[in-house]
Amino acid sequence: MTFILRNMWRRKARTFLTIFGIVVGIFALTVLGGMTARMNQQVKGMKGFIAGKISVAPANANEHMGMSVGGGKFLNLSVARAIEKVPGVQSASGMVMVQLKQSEGLSQPQMMVAYEPVPGMFKDIKISKGRELAPGDAGKVVLGSTLATDLGAKVGSTVTLKDKSFEVVGIMDTTMGVTDTWAFVPYQDGLSVFLAANPFIKSVDLVQSITVLPKSGTSIEALATTIGKTIPAIKTTSPVQAEKQISQMTTIFSAIILGIAFIALFVGGLSVINTMIMSVSERRREIGLKKAIGATTGTILREYLGEAAMIGLVAGACGMLLGLLAISGLNRATHASNVVIFTVTATVIFGPVIFATILAGLAGLFPALRAARLNPVDALKEE
Amino acid sequence: MSIVTTSGLKKVYKVGETTINAVDGLDLAIEKGEFLSIMGPSGSGKTTLLHLLGCLDVPTSGTVTIEGKETGNLKQTALAAIRREKIGFIFQEFNLLPVLSAVENVELPLRYLKVKPAERRRRALEALEKVGLTERANNKPGQLSGGESQRVAIARALVTEPALVLADEPTGELDTTNTVRIMELLRELNEQLDLTVAIVTHDPMVAERTRRIISIRDGKVESDKAA
Repeated sequence: MTFILRNMWRRKARTFLTIFGIVVGIFALTVLGGMTARMNQQVKGMKGFIAGKISVAPANANEHMGMSVGGGKFLNLSVARAIEKVPGVQSASGMVMVQLKQSEGLSQPQMMVAYEPVPGMFKDIKISKGRELAPGDAGKVVLGSTLATDLGAKVGSTVTLKDKSFEVVGIMDTTMGVTDTWAFVPYQDGLSVFLAANPFIKSVDLVQSITVLPKSGTSIEALATTIGKTIPAIKTTSPVQAEKQISQMTTIFSAIILGIAFIALFVGGLSVINTMIMSVSERRREIGLKKAIGATTGTILREYLGEAAMIGLVAGACGMLLGLLAISGLNRATHASNVVIFTVTATVIFGPVIFATILAGLAGLFPALRAARLNPVDALKEE
Repeated sequence: MSIVTTSGLKKVYKVGETTINAVDGLDLAIEKGEFLSIMGPSGSGKTTLLHLLGCLDVPTSGTVTIEGKETGNLKQTALAAIRREKIGFIFQEFNLLPVLSAVENVELPLRYLKVKPAERRRRALEALEKVGLTERANNKPGQLSGGESQRVAIARALVTEPALVLADEPTGELDTTNTVRIMELLRELNEQLDLTVAIVTHDPMVAERTRRIISIRDGKVESDKAA
């Protein structure tokens, strides 16, 4: 171990440059890894939100992240009542969303989500304090954890959203997902806020989407198809379809990460190969000597592989630490506006380091084999 | 019993169209505790013979037997084991590892023998004491003179208590004073530790300090006599 470090240190500038090359790649990998981890968190929260439900939207609506958001097209609440008559449907809850505050940069938009409270509608989102909305509630709100903090709200306190006062009855657990900045209100309250914000829309019982819960034992995918066929001018999104849409989004991000990893692989790997080939050719006599005094092929192979992997380990650790530094700096900078862009998970920390170590070890394999297979007589003759 | 015997030992090199019989049917026996030199002009095959005796190279035909063990058909790993356990090498250019201190250089063969660190250090210091370099134990090779470096190399060769120490022109890089000192040291070690030493040299001053001189010419023994 100490020998490996001392051998690395023989050519300080060269070792430093090789390490630096990998550090850059690993730094990028760590930072993007942190972003992906945050992304996955949000997607996970989103999946909890869409699980076990069918989303119904106007046939010509735009879809976004697995949820039909209307896009200026609306359904009447009567459609929800019609859907409830479809066999296998437990409940159909009309929903209207109003933006409370636009997203700033990468922050989540604050949304008011108005729906007809139905038991089990948000069963994957835990209420940490207070209770869920119940049928018959009016002027009540359940807040996402971030929004609650922003508003300084507690259960029992009153908050004003879009000039309307609401009594806080519940605050949700932090999901790190989109719902953290959402306010859930009863449908009629939300509708009046929505109509006030959109004065040109005729005052009717309109909904942007309808959330359908199936009766237990009903195949949700089949039910989505049935509803789509039974009710005219609507389009249904089943959980499977919604997940597919979400995955498409994360795939792009994963592809970027993979791309960065490959660049790191090529640049870092090649420079390790180069460094190790030079180390081996400089030390041919030493290798000959070691073999003469009894080192086996395996011993030499391990020594050089160890040196290559050590370059990767040191570079990986440095790159990762720099990445974490950047992440914590950026997170602190955006903290004031309650935005989290990066999440640090075990994978974000250890992934790049392990990756760099294995990468460098693999890159060192060829030079190490070359060293290990040297004929001692020839190696000792070298000047 | 002989430490090393060779029988009909041959090493043939091919350089382009020409075949060179570097070692050409050589029969030799080295007994325990001998202090001998192998002399010959350059190209006489003496270094090739040393490599064959030390299991660094494999013969084209004939046999090398070390402490009763025939080495001709052994695999690389087994040859490495023999070098580790039975042979100590001393080279003209010392071949010390520059990143290691004197004592760490001496420890190196013990590392390959998987001796525990504390035991390794103790034996290495003991070997350095035998060559009179205890006070230089922690110096790096770059801080040592030629004579000192070669003494560290000698300590490294004897630290494993090998059956046979092979020296290839051990004084080739040294001035006369240091040559005499190194030869005296090797002789002392031979006498005190009953160490078997074979020295390859072309320097008569070195050869005359050993007790047996084997002269080689064209890969064959020309003469073999007591000094």
